Amino acid sequence: MTIVKMKTKPKVLVLKADGINRDEELAFSFEISGGDAKIVHINDLRNGREKLKNYHILALPGGFAYGDDIASGKILAVELTSFFTEELKQFISRKDTAVLGVCNGFQTLVRTGILPFRNIGKMDAILTNNDSGRFECRWVPVKVEKNSRCVFLENMPDEIMHYPVAHGEGKFFAEPEVLQKIEREHLVAFRYTDKHGDPTLTYPNNPNGSINAIMGVTDKTGSVLGLMPHPECFTRREQHPNWRRMPSLKPQGLPLFKNIIDYVKKA
Amino acid sequence: MIHTIRVKTSRGPDIQGEGVLHDIRSVLKINSIQKVETASVYRLEGISKLQAKKLAEILFCEKINQAYSLNKPFAKKSSTVFEVGYKPGVMNPQVTSIIKSARDLGINITTADTSIEYEFHGQAKKQEVKEILEKLHLLNDTIQHIVMEEPKTLLTKGTAGKTTIIPIRKMNNSELLALSKDKLFLNLDELHIVKKYFVKIKRNPTDCELETIAQAWSEHCVHKTFKANLIIDGKKKKPLIQRIKEEALKHNKNIVSAFVDNSGVMDFYDGFAICGKVETHNSPSAIEPYGGAMTGSGGVFRDVLGTGLGAKCIASTDIFCFAHPNMNPSLLPNGCLPPDYLLKRVVAGVRDYGNRVGIPTNNGSVHFHNDFRAKPTVVVGAYGILPKKKAKKGRPKIGDVIVCVGGKTGRDGIHGATFSSGEMTEKTSSINSSAVQIGNAIEEKRMFDAILEAQRQNCIRAIQDCGAGGFSSAIGEIGQSQGVSVYLDKVSLKYKGLAPWEIWVSESQERMILAIPFKNLKQFLNICKLFNVQASILGKFDGSKKLQVYFRKKSVCNLDMKFLHHGLPQRIMRAKKNTSDEPIQSPRRWPDGLLRGKLISENEWIAVLERVLSHGNIASKEQIARLYDHSVGGTNDLQSYSGEELDSPNDAVVIRPILNKEFGMVISHGLNPVLNAIDPYWGSIWASAEALANYTAVGGDYKNASLINNYIWPFPDEESLWSLDKSVDAVVDIMKKLKIPVISGKDSLSSTYRGKDGAVIKIPPVLCMSVFGKIPNTSKTITSDFKKENSSFVLVGKMDFSRMGGSIYYETQEIRHGEVPHVDLEILPKTLTRIYRGIVQGKILSCHDISEGGLITALFEMCIGGGMGATIHLRGGRMDSSEVNHPEAFLFNETAGCFIVEVEHESTAKNLFTDVPFLMLGKTTKEKLITVQRNNRKMFSADVALLKKVWQEPMKKLFP
Repeated sequence: MTIVKMKTKPKVLVLKADGINRDEELAFSFEISGGDAKIVHINDLRNGREKLKNYHILALPGGFAYGDDIASGKILAVELTSFFTEELKQFISRKDTAVLGVCNGFQTLVRTGILPFRNIGKMDAILTNNDSGRFECRWVPVKVEKNSRCVFLENMPDEIMHYPVAHGEGKFFAEPEVLQKIEREHLVAFRYTDKHGDPTLTYPNNPNGSINAIMGVTDKTGSVLGLMPHPECFTRREQHPNWRRMPSLKPQGLPLFKNIIDYVKKA
Repeated sequence: MIHTIRVKTSRGPDIQGEGVLHDIRSVLKINSIQKVETASVYRLEGISKLQAKKLAEILFCEKINQAYSLNKPFAKKSSTVFEVGYKPGVMNPQVTSIIKSARDLGINITTADTSIEYEFHGQAKKQEVKEILEKLHLLNDTIQHIVMEEPKTLLTKGTAGKTTIIPIRKMNNSELLALSKDKLFLNLDELHIVKKYFVKIKRNPTDCELETIAQAWSEHCVHKTFKANLIIDGKKKKPLIQRIKEEALKHNKNIVSAFVDNSGVMDFYDGFAICGKVETHNSPSAIEPYGGAMTGSGGVFRDVLGTGLGAKCIASTDIFCFAHPNMNPSLLPNGCLPPDYLLKRVVAGVRDYGNRVGIPTNNGSVHFHNDFRAKPTVVVGAYGILPKKKAKKGRPKIGDVIVCVGGKTGRDGIHGATFSSGEMTEKTSSINSSAVQIGNAIEEKRMFDAILEAQRQNCIRAIQDCGAGGFSSAIGEIGQSQGVSVYLDKVSLKYKGLAPWEIWVSESQERMILAIPFKNLKQFLNICKLFNVQASILGKFDGSKKLQVYFRKKSVCNLDMKFLHHGLPQRIMRAKKNTSDEPIQSPRRWPDGLLRGKLISENEWIAVLERVLSHGNIASKEQIARLYDHSVGGTNDLQSYSGEELDSPNDAVVIRPILNKEFGMVISHGLNPVLNAIDPYWGSIWASAEALANYTAVGGDYKNASLINNYIWPFPDEESLWSLDKSVDAVVDIMKKLKIPVISGKDSLSSTYRGKDGAVIKIPPVLCMSVFGKIPNTSKTITSDFKKENSSFVLVGKMDFSRMGGSIYYETQEIRHGEVPHVDLEILPKTLTRIYRGIVQGKILSCHDISEGGLITALFEMCIGGGMGATIHLRGGRMDSSEVNHPEAFLFNETAGCFIVEVEHESTAKNLFTDVPFLMLGKTTKEKLITVQRNNRKMFSADVALLKKVWQEPMKKLFP
């Protein structure tokens, strides 16, 4: 296996496909966190002009890949598992790599089977229609899960943070035994919370009805993370709706990106 | 054969089915249905059963929460099932994805279709269920049908239609008019010019040629009214467009291009330019609101993309006018859809298109008046950014290639341009259903990605969006200077069976026309391929100065560009003031009906306030805004709603288009159709002042802003043309006084409905003024929510307390007369300047402009966001005697261009507002109450939380 020599900046592949529309802010967030991000169309991976193995971080942005036809992220997931199963396996088995899927990217990772159990080609969980029945764009309180296996959460504050959501199919759902395994193995990375910081099932703080208030999950190595909200839309403080009311506010999505970069750098 | 896969929810809620059941019970009040289940139906042609099974398991059904059936129905015998699908030939956006994904799995489907199946459990009979479908509009028969039996094939067959020669040279007046009716929409004078041209060239035209002329000369494309010489009340006046342009070009400090491109372009920072375009999509939205709104968004986004050598679309705005959602259904004219349905479906269309293309919808408004019941107004704005050196189109050269990129061409949207230029009648929805198109946002998105990449790689000479009039307009326009040869057999079609003229004028969505230098062609085609975008070479620029169109080697159109673009003579149009109406412009300073400062009880005051706050125009639109993605791009530095509970509205958009640069763009708008119906001049001044006030309230610098004016007017008969002329006068005066230009605009002069019974409904004329511009630093902007307890709030600007005509207060009190407020155009620029400076200097903590609902409404919205209250002290002997004598005129007056401003100390206000009127109103309070004191005696004290509930209720009902 080729291991790319770490230069000063880890290389980030931001995956583009028809209908992906949050690639630029995701690339920007990696860039300001010390990454060397490139937006790469999946056709350039398919035609061999680009190779996944030349990168350290695979980032799947939000959007509506192929219109989210049939189900969100479905067509892209089928494309990835049809053509890249081996490359993905090799990539995620490397010690110096990380994978991040945001919103549509999370939906895609779950539909490829990479999350939560690395069963590429087999779905163990789903992200399905919000209980509200509609797309919603709002800011929600979230909290990092203590004891999560996710390796990107170091020094993230143990307090309520706010991230924006913008989705119609974000309800995390799995069979009870799958859910138990997820909890037992500490694969939950973030949860939606109420105003006290406790996990909540109540709308609108839990914007989609996700079971166990699950907002983001990781895999057994902790180096693959998927989440519904958009930390990449809170890497500048002016993105928060109330930054004018909160003089000491810092962008709460930024530490996540810095941690991902640090993680692959250290590896 | 066709294999049919049905997929339904097996675990967890069937969200769609539950939604339908909810509506059956709560909207239709029918209790005979116990349950509604839905299933997605996929029909696949050209594969084996085994392959269909594989696709069902891998692609269509997720067994964690779904179940599928192959080639047999799910439904039980006891239930009633209706399957709703698109009519054959209507574009189904899912099909491309299905074919692609199956191919990725190694299965080649010939074609596919999808539909949705509703299964109703309960006692209702089939006919009753069908009525439910219709009443809930689950079936829009303009584009959908009930699938009665399994189709034998999904392929749309047909042989190409023929080209017909029209013997126009021999036609008399009645024959000419018959030719035009419901098709060409040209008047008799214009038809005679066409006839004369063909007499001169000694042949009869093809249908394709007549269609081309009709498109090019349609009001929608050529703006005959705006270009016409006018005689107003017997006096000659210059054409409307000329007056606007002449004044605009005097204020050209920031103009990069105005009135010449698909959008108006102004200077930005760091070698960039920004552009803006605002469009209407009223006619299609009236008959198929979902598709209409989608294509409205799609079209205006393409206008931005088609600016210069390709601009990136970065923001959009949506402004709607409908009848009141609770209007008595008996008022609804035949052939028209109910307003609540229109509102919901237009919002859904905007949501599904904008969100998918990934363009944030950052700003909008909704206005209600029952005279919009026959024809709503749907206004969509789009804004973009591009390198300044690519902000102007190149001129195509001989040998350049004409390339069409994007979606395939079908029969959809034929006659859109001519149709939208005609008045609406009760026949409109059936005759012109082909004018409706369904958008495919992903097609648009990938096309955007490809074209912007081509722009970066300098491949493009010129670009034109394919909107109204299809190829006919786009190619006709881009080829105007050189002349072109076009080969219609090269067009990629959705299905066979289109006649050449249909291909030529089809308004199928998501297509752009580009002029590509031959040497760049290969590079350009490679870019298209990378982004999965179809590109067809349709012809070339040939220097002939003619529009030459061929189909299978036969000429179907051969027209002189000069005749096509300059053959239409300038019209002379007459207008005069309608004096037959009752004198609505009452000269009385205090019209009847005001409370005249009567001592009414506290509860009565609160009831008056609640009626104003729950009026549709004022009620919170948060429920709508949340459906739109306004965070995509990460550019949004001022959210539409902010404050303690993120539910207080802000006045304008502030975005940072380049994420690592602190400069930004501000966008706002203003309109008030009801005022225009009373007084088009002052109503239009009001709309412009409101737009500028919104712009300034967040920290926008109007001196670095540009205007976009949109006129949505009834058909320009003498009376409506008179009011249009007044509105244009107002816009010109705004430019003069503010010294900033209008750089783009559009008119849509067909919002009159004519019923069979002779009923005529004209909309209240809409001038929608949009403002966009630049600021050096987005972190020097503010929101409307109160920031501090015990700070002072001040009224800034010159209020016209004596005029309240058209106000929400009057409407809720059923007062129907009175003049509309006059904005003082000498004071306005000074006020805007002072507010802007105060914000940039950090001295203004929060700011909200006064608009519909008046001062008290603005104050209320500032309180919600602040999570606090406020006390106003009304005192005699200050700005105006109305303050104590007519407190309702003071509290509910709607003079635009005035503000409530929060400052820490009174002295700050005194220092800031040295040359503009201002009035200390009171202080913010910790207690969440709005209290009004008159001469130190309490008039009323209202609980902010209770008011908020009343204010949020109307849209929560419509968008639960």
